[in-house]
Amino acid sequence: MDFVDAIASARYELIGRILGKSVERTSRPKSFSDIVDIVLLDKYLGIPIFLTLMWTVFQFAFSISAPFSTAIDILFSSGSEWSKTIIQNEVLASLIGDGIFGGLGFILVFLPPIAFVFIALAILEDTGYLPRAAFVMDRAMTKVGLHGKSFIPMLLGFGCNVPAIMGCRTIENEADRKITIMVNPLMSCSARLPVYVLFAGAFFAGYEGFAITSMYLLGIVLAAIMATVIRKLFFGGEPSPLLMEIPDYSMPTLKNILTSAWIRVKIFLKKAATILFAGAIIIWFLSVFPWDATNGGEILENSYAASIGHAIEPVIAPLGFDWKAGVALFTGFVAKELVVGTLGILYGVESEEAIAEAIAVDFNPATALALMAITLIYLPCLAALGVLVRELGELKWVGLVIAYELLLAYIVAAIIVAIGGVIL
Amino acid sequence: MKLSELRDGEKGLIIEVRGNSALKNRLLSMGIVRGAEIKMVRNAPLKDPIEFELKGYFLSLRRSEAENVIVEVKE
Repeated sequence: MDFVDAIASARYELIGRILGKSVERTSRPKSFSDIVDIVLLDKYLGIPIFLTLMWTVFQFAFSISAPFSTAIDILFSSGSEWSKTIIQNEVLASLIGDGIFGGLGFILVFLPPIAFVFIALAILEDTGYLPRAAFVMDRAMTKVGLHGKSFIPMLLGFGCNVPAIMGCRTIENEADRKITIMVNPLMSCSARLPVYVLFAGAFFAGYEGFAITSMYLLGIVLAAIMATVIRKLFFGGEPSPLLMEIPDYSMPTLKNILTSAWIRVKIFLKKAATILFAGAIIIWFLSVFPWDATNGGEILENSYAASIGHAIEPVIAPLGFDWKAGVALFTGFVAKELVVGTLGILYGVESEEAIAEAIAVDFNPATALALMAITLIYLPCLAALGVLVRELGELKWVGLVIAYELLLAYIVAAIIVAIGGVIL
Repeated sequence: MKLSELRDGEKGLIIEVRGNSALKNRLLSMGIVRGAEIKMVRNAPLKDPIEFELKGYFLSLRRSEAENVIVEVKE
């Protein structure tokens, strides 16, 4: 027995003596929590109940919050239209309408999912279910280099990586938390879906579901691989111990829940929004300038954004993409769903069907699948990057995320194109 | 025997706590000390981790962590 052992034993021995004098123990009947856990942590029922609960949380966080986001989007779009009609100076109208109103709208649509995610997380935490969720999933998550507590943030990533990354604060251990944050962008959020739908519809008619599902699975597999690799390379060792108390269930309080949501909303607005707003203004500038050449932002081909597309072209040309895909990926960095709209603008068409027809000329099934994979992997969107900076703290980790994602996107796309070249 | 080998509902008396110092310190601070009584409550649905009851509260431990605690089965 060593020193630490001796101290701990002596301490508990003293506690035991005091308790012996002052507390009378009677045999405890099964408490409410004991009975609930017999069902919720059951060998067979535990996982189905857990998955049902998680499905409910997911729907609550993302489906119920969606109309609020739509309302915010509509509000700022009409603000944008309105400011463009009343401001005479064209550059100023574009700055205020597209840059500021557009940028604010793009940032504020994240508030409803953030608020709803944290309402849901606060309920799970206050009721006492959160440690039980870690208890149920720990085995599966430690297999892939994560921690039992990583499961919920990873799941939330399928809705939106922004609140998902913020939700990683429920993971106490620093290494476990950082790794979970760094691989979270690989979970395919709902903004990537329109891109998948467009390309799958155009090139995999009849097998759209298969093509789209493969992207979600690809994200999960890559997240598992990257979590394991990042842990090995930068953190070493095993996930932190799952030494945690499983508390009694309790009734959550409304005040706690709302405070928790409000704190997160405030964090997002204060820190992330400043980076996001600056980013949105820069992207606006690059899309409409040089002003005369783009005819006030109407001809995207002549903008600085297009120049960036041309600059990217040599890098992505071996994969079978031209500068137009480069521009789409550039704007897609702001918000991934913009890839669709940008391709529409560049091909000079508007409806989804017309875009699908237009891209059919420049892409083939292999490059289409490769572009879907690139959209999944290549970079976190601007908003996710904002919270990555905030939540990871050190820029070296943010740099690591950007570096591995770019590299991984390129490698995966190259593999898809190569295999496609053999098959097709 | 090892703490991880207790069966559902079985109680044990802790004889020794092993493991690297970080893990050992955490185990000790959670009340897993020599002489304490500990009861195995249940396995997680995937058989790992394990839930224990000691000193009037419930604690989860991975199988690999529980292997560092040596117990004597209590009748």
